Amino acid sequence: MSFVTVETLFKDKKEEFSLEVVVGESYLRDKKISTYDIFRPGLALAGYTGYFLSERVIIIGRTEVSYLKTLTKQLRNQRVAEIMKLGTPCVIVAKKLSIGDKFKEEAIRRKIPILRTPMSTTPFIHKLSTYLAYKLAPTKFIQGTLVDIYGVGVLFMGKPGTGKSECALDLIERGHRFVADDLVKIVQRGDILVGSGAEKSAQLKHYIEVRGVGLVDIYRIFGVKSVRSHKRIEIVMELVLWDETKGDFERVGIQGKNKKILGIEIPRIVIPLTPGKNVSVIAEVVAMNYLLKLRGVHPAKEYNEELKRILAQMEAPTSRYDEEIE
Amino acid sequence: MIKKPVKILNENGLHALPASRFVKLADKFECNVILEKEGVEINGKSIMGILTLACEKGSTVILTCEGKDEKEAFKALRKILEGQD
Repeated sequence: MSFVTVETLFKDKKEEFSLEVVVGESYLRDKKISTYDIFRPGLALAGYTGYFLSERVIIIGRTEVSYLKTLTKQLRNQRVAEIMKLGTPCVIVAKKLSIGDKFKEEAIRRKIPILRTPMSTTPFIHKLSTYLAYKLAPTKFIQGTLVDIYGVGVLFMGKPGTGKSECALDLIERGHRFVADDLVKIVQRGDILVGSGAEKSAQLKHYIEVRGVGLVDIYRIFGVKSVRSHKRIEIVMELVLWDETKGDFERVGIQGKNKKILGIEIPRIVIPLTPGKNVSVIAEVVAMNYLLKLRGVHPAKEYNEELKRILAQMEAPTSRYDEEIE
Repeated sequence: MIKKPVKILNENGLHALPASRFVKLADKFECNVILEKEGVEINGKSIMGILTLACEKGSTVILTCEGKDEKEAFKALRKILEGQD
């Protein structure tokens, strides 16, 4: 299961959220956040701890702080001790509010870090939740090549040596934008998939291996217009050797097949490779056809509808016609 | 199928030269070659894949060979990762 440590959160967002550590600098590393759900402990502080999930980050806002002030000291300490005992990866106090010593005492006892931000509670919760959802999104690495063709993200897949990289090169030459070659990192964002390069450094991005030549720097050869850092994946184009398809590929374009990646269905097109076939032109047509479909135009369906209309109008052969043949 | 962890002992890690030796050798075998590091799997016959993995000296990768000549392939490829070739 994926997680973010509180330390990573602190490092990534220290400046944006103006975060500071109130208690437990040394606990940050071991505390893992595995959900983007956020917990405001209002009801728990009032004594109801049903459905309490210890993996959620606890956010303390003005409501919690002022409610605690209405309790007697003994009751306040008891409730605070109770929620800290149930556990959380970390407590974040919004609006730079000061919280009582009991919180700090329990935090040290349970090794739970307490952070603080000057941000207002609700905007902070939105931003934190968005950040956590981004960090915890399901991710997969796939062998393929990702190119933006007329604004459509096309992921080329196929065995090594089927010419994915060369096809990308051809498309870049035609003015399309290169995203990643060979290893594509795919992240699920809601119901869409976003692909990018998997390189560990920005300087290593946007290289392609061209067999016989070696590594080629696309950014420096073709310029800034020819690359982009990430792109939504809208079509999977699979390059397959002709004899491996066994004739099983689309001929009209009505049925349509899908490929499932991280649980999301993406239209899949299988292109059988034959000598002399220009895959990049086909890829452009596939992208444009997809754009037409987005606008509600479905050429293959329209063709078939018109064909059916004509067939219905045509008269069945008469007996005279039969005689003529004889 | 042979699937075992291998420690990168190559001086300077798996940079362009050892990586290209690795893919060239992997290409000569019929079996599938897969390298895995930190949960990311790549095709061992692809240079970009190996370079993208960024295997530093001392790190551990999982080398998988699957196919007819897997034994010979594993033995030879392991040598490159361990810098003994």
